[in-house]
Amino acid sequence: MKAHDTGERIIRASISGEAVSAPGMAAGAKRIERAQARTAVARRRLLSNLPLIFIYIFLAVMTVFAIFPIYFVVQASLAGDQNLYVTTLQLLPDRPTFSNYVYAFTQLPVFNWLVNTTIVCGLATLIGVAFSMTGAYALSRFRFKGREASLSLLLALQAFPGLLAITAYYYLLSYLKLLNTAPLLGLALIYAAGDLVFGTWNIKSYFDTIPVELEEAALIDGASLREAFLRITLPLATPALVASALFMFVGGWNEFALANFILNANANGSNLTFILGLYSLQGTYHTPWGYFAATSVIISVPLMLLFVYARRYFQSGLTIGGVKG
Amino acid sequence: MLQVKRRTIFLYLLPIIVTILIINMTPILYTLYLSFTNNTEFNEAYNFVGLANYIHLFFATDSDLFYVLGLTVLYVGICVVLFVLLGTVTALALNHPRIKGTSIWMSLLLVPWAAPSAVTALIWKFLFNYDFGPINQIGRLFFGAHFGVPWLTNPVAAFAAVVIVNVWLSYPFFTVVILGALQSIPAELSEAASVDGANGWQRFWRLTFPLVSPAVMPATVLSAITTFQMFNTVYLITQGGPITNPARPGVTTFVMIYMYNEVLGATAANIHYAQVAAFAITMFVILGALTFLARALSLGGRAVQA
Repeated sequence: MKAHDTGERIIRASISGEAVSAPGMAAGAKRIERAQARTAVARRRLLSNLPLIFIYIFLAVMTVFAIFPIYFVVQASLAGDQNLYVTTLQLLPDRPTFSNYVYAFTQLPVFNWLVNTTIVCGLATLIGVAFSMTGAYALSRFRFKGREASLSLLLALQAFPGLLAITAYYYLLSYLKLLNTAPLLGLALIYAAGDLVFGTWNIKSYFDTIPVELEEAALIDGASLREAFLRITLPLATPALVASALFMFVGGWNEFALANFILNANANGSNLTFILGLYSLQGTYHTPWGYFAATSVIISVPLMLLFVYARRYFQSGLTIGGVKG
Repeated sequence: MLQVKRRTIFLYLLPIIVTILIINMTPILYTLYLSFTNNTEFNEAYNFVGLANYIHLFFATDSDLFYVLGLTVLYVGICVVLFVLLGTVTALALNHPRIKGTSIWMSLLLVPWAAPSAVTALIWKFLFNYDFGPINQIGRLFFGAHFGVPWLTNPVAAFAAVVIVNVWLSYPFFTVVILGALQSIPAELSEAASVDGANGWQRFWRLTFPLVSPAVMPATVLSAITTFQMFNTVYLITQGGPITNPARPGVTTFVMIYMYNEVLGATAANIHYAQVAAFAITMFVILGALTFLARALSLGGRAVQA
């Protein structure tokens, strides 16, 4: 057996172009040893490919898990209402059609929802970022009495989901006369207040990583504090600003509870935000799945594009536990 | 640090001070005040009753506090274990030196992260539909035409459903965090351990695990907090149901959903605002404690963000 093995290796060695008839016996043995080692490597590689195959299968399964809901709703949105009310699985529409999208844009107040949501989220993000950046600048660059306490207070406020004070917000908005006259503005203010707690922390942590010497030098050169802040610190903090803004915008886009509490739907629901509108499509007894699917796609696309665009800022702009991916 | 006049400091802080005082603090203080009164939907007075609402919340037999908290803690526990487990396995798979196209796999796996979570919650509700949902349809391919899991009406299945959705939503985040930590481990360390005769299992527990866990710890506490106060994903799928015991809320009524249903739920009658406020303040204390714990855990003064 062993002799056969050795012979085989000599043959293999000869195939790979090595001289089998070596000048000295010692050198020949060494060559055989080397050849043996190579075969062992090849065998090990074959064995180690087995786990590799399992890893690929695992990744494929996880990818299907990740993608399936999105894929399914996209294909359902193109299926008309043909095969959404059958009990067997259909993964491709037989006759793809945009009729659901046409219906969503013509019969449903999708456009109003889009506008309302953009107003609320845009306003909240604008206020959130603008206020956070000045507050964060003060907390990062100035030393004053109560600074530590303010930081702790911000942290505590971050632990307070707005939903907990839901009745208080109702009274607050009616006191500010916003509840009936400008509920979208009221909603935006509530979102902004929550956003700036998060934003101030995030942007402050980022400012802390920018050397203060840059501004000191500018101040010595005669720049005003405002110029140093606007021209030096802010541009350098772009990743944090973009990531915070995106976070705020997405947060508002997804918010359901407060919006549902504050906005009273009118007859066709055209005064709602997107997510309330989408929710109202899901009836208790009957849901028009085709319209629902098309509307879901419409609501998701702008946000996913925004996400893809801002992704490069995400890893540097959000310092989650100081981990950078 | 910059030396500036006090007035300047005040001007920079003014916007957040005003907003926080009016829109953040007032509702919290009002809720705190409310929790010491007997205000209800039909009793518009605010009579001071001391700690009565808190005593009722903690000791009354018909108080739902511990039932709801127990459900929430169970949910958080199951979800977080699954996040870390799936996140670790996926990150290890992607970190395998001979796996090709890591960035492509990563982009695909991150899709749930980029889609708006409220929309995907409603999509999952569609997927869980008994007759027309594709999950039961896939089951029918394997188990025949009569197969069907009553995802949204059976208590265990509904609980499992909201766990599945949350795992789908959150484990990619863990994959990113863990993969980042794995990639920062020098390859030489692992090679040295191999040379010294450590097998894969030993290398994982003795080398990889201790080096990765400092990065995973803050992420774990953070997502435990987010899951604890999760509203959208669960509410949009189950509304807190299904109910198994008429005297108690449904099995997916986690703390935030309980809050919401007490005030806005279909069955909310003569809403006891003061008791709801006491519940809210109790949750605030719990969440505040967890947040400061998370901050203490992320060593070296690193910032903790939601």
